[in-house]
Amino acid sequence: MRGALLVCKKEFMELSKDRKTMFFTFLMPVILYPLLFTMMGKLSQNDEATRKNKPSRIVLVDPGHVVEPLLKADGKAFEVVVAPSGDVKQAIRDQKLEMKLEVDADAATKLEGHKTFGLKATYDKSDDSSKLALSRLKETLQKQDKAWVQARLKALGASPDLAVPTKIATEDAGDMGLFVGKLIGGFLPYMLMIMMFAGSMNLGIYTTAGEKERGTLQSLLCTSLPRNQIIWGKLLFVFAVGIISALFNLLSMGLSIGRVISGGAGAAGAAGAPMGSLSALANPVTLSLTFLLMVPLGLLFANFIVMMGIQAKNTVEAGTAIMPGFVVVMVMAVFSMAPGIEKLAFLPYVPILNVSLAIRKLFSQQGNPLEYTIALLMTVGLAGALTWLSTRLLNRESVLFKV
Amino acid sequence: MIQLTDVHKTFTVKDKRTHLKKRIEAVRGISLTVKPGEIYGLLGPNGAGKSTTLRMIAGLMQADQGQIQVCGIDTLEKPEKARSVVGYLSTDLNVYGRFTPRELLRLFGEFQGVDAKVAERRGLHLLEKLQLLDFADVKMEGFSSGQKQKVSIARALLHDPKVVIFDEPTTGLDVLTAKTVLDLLRVMRAEGRSVIVSTHVMPLVDEICDRVGIIFDGELHGDAPPKQILETWNAKTLDEVFFQLAARSAAEV
Repeated sequence: MRGALLVCKKEFMELSKDRKTMFFTFLMPVILYPLLFTMMGKLSQNDEATRKNKPSRIVLVDPGHVVEPLLKADGKAFEVVVAPSGDVKQAIRDQKLEMKLEVDADAATKLEGHKTFGLKATYDKSDDSSKLALSRLKETLQKQDKAWVQARLKALGASPDLAVPTKIATEDAGDMGLFVGKLIGGFLPYMLMIMMFAGSMNLGIYTTAGEKERGTLQSLLCTSLPRNQIIWGKLLFVFAVGIISALFNLLSMGLSIGRVISGGAGAAGAAGAPMGSLSALANPVTLSLTFLLMVPLGLLFANFIVMMGIQAKNTVEAGTAIMPGFVVVMVMAVFSMAPGIEKLAFLPYVPILNVSLAIRKLFSQQGNPLEYTIALLMTVGLAGALTWLSTRLLNRESVLFKV
Repeated sequence: MIQLTDVHKTFTVKDKRTHLKKRIEAVRGISLTVKPGEIYGLLGPNGAGKSTTLRMIAGLMQADQGQIQVCGIDTLEKPEKARSVVGYLSTDLNVYGRFTPRELLRLFGEFQGVDAKVAERRGLHLLEKLQLLDFADVKMEGFSSGQKQKVSIARALLHDPKVVIFDEPTTGLDVLTAKTVLDLLRVMRAEGRSVIVSTHVMPLVDEICDRVGIIFDGELHGDAPPKQILETWNAKTLDEVFFQLAARSAAEV
């Protein structure tokens, strides 16, 4: 194993000489994610604040003047505007106004006669400001409806409780940590797979096909190092880069998301509650079991990259050969995020996907020891088989001297 | 000591036009011996089988048939052990541009089982001999081909090999650097190492080789001192021997 460690050391030494690659592989995510998430959080908060502080512009058609006083009474929430020329729906889509509200012409009469009158709201479901206008209107009408009903009951000499036969009290039995855990368990395998593969892909190509292209592989092969140790050294390097890259990415992303969540929760007055619950969920056992699955998965990816890279004549050919593998991993990763996928009975037997399923269940506190063991053994087996194959390939002269 | 006995090597190549695979016999029954303290010149045109033969001796490739021994070690049975006594240099080999010569030599010393500090000391000594010591701590990315070749030579000799294999050692080198390399080869001969070089440069053969073997179409023609080869073929220069072989080969076809 000494030879493999020496080769791995050589690869890391070479990597350390390339500051740009080091920066883009390891440091860039550390800087990028906090910047990105802080910026997104700020933008989202500013946008929400702007929307909330701005009254919804409504074109009101209310011949009986029934709803008009309600809207005008709440100047912070509503602004009755004149209908623009042309198509009103287009004006809503163009964000010139948020809603058009048409009240029945005989609304006043119906109201007086204790009957129901109709309103028609035209809004843009895809626009947050327009949706806010509708929710403000519903809230206002709900309050007014209650007042009108109570007034009617009073006029009839009936109890106000007549219109409220039941009153339900709710208590949330869900755990915020579990909720966040489920959420994270849904996308964590996806992130891990993509980051491990993408993080090690280019360096894997550099250290295999790149060495062939640059004519340095032969100088390594003519040393007294056994060839299987050369391939193991390269595998170790590609694997380590993948794992380190994924961990850096996840750490940075986790901290950034945490900051955004606690920032948002702080504003809502419940600072740190979700993160507190989550930290209880992401205990050392869960994290260790997740890492234990990551190791063979990372080795599997490293094997694939090294195997394809070593067979290629040059870096372009290696990139072309590895890309379909990356696409497959991406598709599998996306598939693993699909809702309800964990209910598929065959999933624990599908390589790679079973790893994401196991991680998902670990984080949602539904871990199944049998499924976990199957995923682990299957991935270890596959990684071992690919290592054996890679080692055999590197010993083939047709592969080594293919230029 | 290098000993080759009836060595054969065949490659399978694919014809791009017909898409058919065909077998090419690159080396056909070569037998030769290089004694300690001897420089053996392996001559031949491009594609004759020189590099394949040298790669097999260096343990980079394996013979399909026959036996190769370096210092009594069978390269097929114990390739790693065989490689540990061989210093191999070829124009195909490049240096790691991101390293300095000092770093590269330390690392390759470790690969060859030499202590890093010892490797560094030996490496610097070799760089001094090759007049490259001033560049020991400069990244090799910007090195000229001659400078890279010098570093490769130092790398090949770092582990004090008993057998030295230089494939086209003076290709791309200027006159002064080529002379340095030839001087080094003479030193290695004096130190009792078995040296085998392949080259196109005939004056080099006359100058340093004790014995010469000419490879043509994978077969070894003649295995004798340069003067004896010329007498046998009734030629004034080794180039003439080549032409005669080419003419004979064309006539056979």
